[in-house]
Amino acid sequence: MSSLPLELLAPLEFVAQLAPPYNQLHTPAPGIGAMVALVLFIAASVWLGTVAQKVVERSAFIQGYFQGNRGLGAWTIALTATVQSGGTFMGFPSLVYTSGWIVALWIASYMIVPITGFGLIGKRIAQISRRTGAVTMPDLFRARFASPTAGLVTSLLIILFMSIMMIAQFKAGAVVMKIAWPGSGQLAISESQAQVDWIYLIGLAVFSLTVVGYTLIGGFLAAVWTDLLQSIMMIVGVTILVCLAIPAAGGLENASRRAISNVEQLARNQGATPAAAAQAGIQYASGPGLRGDGVTPYLPLAMAFSFFCFWPFAGTASPASVVRIMACKDTGVLRRSIFLLAVYNMGIYLPLIAICICAKALMPNLGGKSDEVIPRMALALTSEFPLGSGGWVSGIILAAPFGAIMATVSSYLLVIASGLVRDVYQRFIHPHATDHEMRRLTYVVMAAIGIIAAAMNIFPVKHLQMLVVFSSGCAASSFLIPTVMMCYWRRATATGTIAAMLAGAAASLTLNLIGLFQAFAKTGQFANFTPYYLLQFEPIVWGLLVSLVVGIGVSLITRPPDEATVSKLFDAPQAKPDQVG
Amino acid sequence: MPAEDPVLRSSRREAIVVFSIWAVACAYTVGYCYTFGYYREPGSLKFVAGLPDWVFWGILVPWTTCSLLSFWVSNYLIADDDLGEAQSEEAPHV
Repeated sequence: MSSLPLELLAPLEFVAQLAPPYNQLHTPAPGIGAMVALVLFIAASVWLGTVAQKVVERSAFIQGYFQGNRGLGAWTIALTATVQSGGTFMGFPSLVYTSGWIVALWIASYMIVPITGFGLIGKRIAQISRRTGAVTMPDLFRARFASPTAGLVTSLLIILFMSIMMIAQFKAGAVVMKIAWPGSGQLAISESQAQVDWIYLIGLAVFSLTVVGYTLIGGFLAAVWTDLLQSIMMIVGVTILVCLAIPAAGGLENASRRAISNVEQLARNQGATPAAAAQAGIQYASGPGLRGDGVTPYLPLAMAFSFFCFWPFAGTASPASVVRIMACKDTGVLRRSIFLLAVYNMGIYLPLIAICICAKALMPNLGGKSDEVIPRMALALTSEFPLGSGGWVSGIILAAPFGAIMATVSSYLLVIASGLVRDVYQRFIHPHATDHEMRRLTYVVMAAIGIIAAAMNIFPVKHLQMLVVFSSGCAASSFLIPTVMMCYWRRATATGTIAAMLAGAAASLTLNLIGLFQAFAKTGQFANFTPYYLLQFEPIVWGLLVSLVVGIGVSLITRPPDEATVSKLFDAPQAKPDQVG
Repeated sequence: MPAEDPVLRSSRREAIVVFSIWAVACAYTVGYCYTFGYYREPGSLKFVAGLPDWVFWGILVPWTTCSLLSFWVSNYLIADDDLGEAQSEEAPHV
């Protein structure tokens, strides 16, 4: 069993004298803890899938399989309907570790996500969904505007964006299995780990079979319950880790001071003048902060504003979130979800920031492995737990992001499958398909998607990450304004809504493409590009603005919607509300 | 002219309040952090409860306030409305 090195408890002056990486906290090897935790998580997911299957079998297939019979409670809605993902445990901590306290401002809008996520459109979405019998997001648009075209365009955009994002997650899942393999020596996802070898292929096969398997068996409820399980694992892991990290660093203030000192020392080691080193140090604890290159400002004012728009609004109208809100039991569930999520977000993000600042104090030079900051802290800080229990604790912490990836794939898989089966096949090809036919087709489609996604990752698509950036940006810009128009504006037309969707996506895509070509002109390659930040704003800000202007403009110049259709959803029910739709 | 749907009316009122809360939180948090947290001189940093002063006042305080506000939003602002009976799945028509 390894022990914590003495310099962990050394005074600041002593640490500052040491040239990193010599003052690193020693990270023991992960052992079998991660693999055991992962296997347990997989087993739990499959079990949840079988339980969910029994619930689905009690109802009509489409309602039960794709929406859980509108029976979700507050805990499941609160902890699964927003944007926790593998990135919460890997990408985000890496940002804090690298750029310091300014990342707290970057993520600060999560303070408002619980309120906007459910309070802005939640109740209205749930109501329209019930009145129209809508099961999917395209169903909502189709019913609200009495326009099959609106439904089809929504469906095709969702399938396009989410397929790209999902395929990339399969690769992440395979790499995760490879990392968890005892003796891998790696603790986080990296390109070097994505090399195709037999462990990668086994990982890909196990990951694909597991995720497709339990999602196929249990449908929407299996995806939601698995998501809930990983959310609980995350908060347990973070709570344990923050309680260990802060005392180990001698308190949060001491951790900050040591981190600043370490950044200064690193800058001096790289040849910076004392003044420049001091400036680099203070940037670690103030704005605008510095990116990994040590030169580029991390968060200029316009970007800070952009991210205060990005997190609350990107999550609010994402197809995976909307379908979960549609599945809530009643308005009481939505109300309680707001407070539960507020408590959860505070318990996740602020402690994660504290842990990473402590990590910068204790292990200041992870170099290109800053993604490993959380697993390394977990292993180092639990290594002296009695009776080998540290291995189990770090196993939970290591398995949490793995669970998040599985949960993300599962929910994307369902949205894509429902898009193909419900919104394309049943709407346009075979409107009178029986329950049995729909069930059989859903299974075939889901298995086919899994096989295609797995096959594409045997020989991973080049520049897939680039497509993921494009897709996530376009998706975030596409759906918010049309969804708000659908909920609250009588005069909104089908053409205006479709135009808003396409214009938002196009604006975001254009800014990403400009960034891509700029990167190619400068470096001769497409990798590691950043979007073009027009006036320093994130593309989503421009995407939403363009979507809003186009949506309103096109709606106003097109023929007003049919009053009878609008009245069903905007006026008080007259006699028999169950005839609406 | 038929009466407006009561759920629509309450949802819209709540959405306006929610958007206003977002706008205030955004203006305060981004404004405070930019004013007091950007371009600090080395040696000027102070700490409150272990956090850099601008993080405490610009992020922790509004975050805590928003969390408390979420209690008010969930218990007092958002009304419990009848969402109506869920329609059974219709045979879809193109």
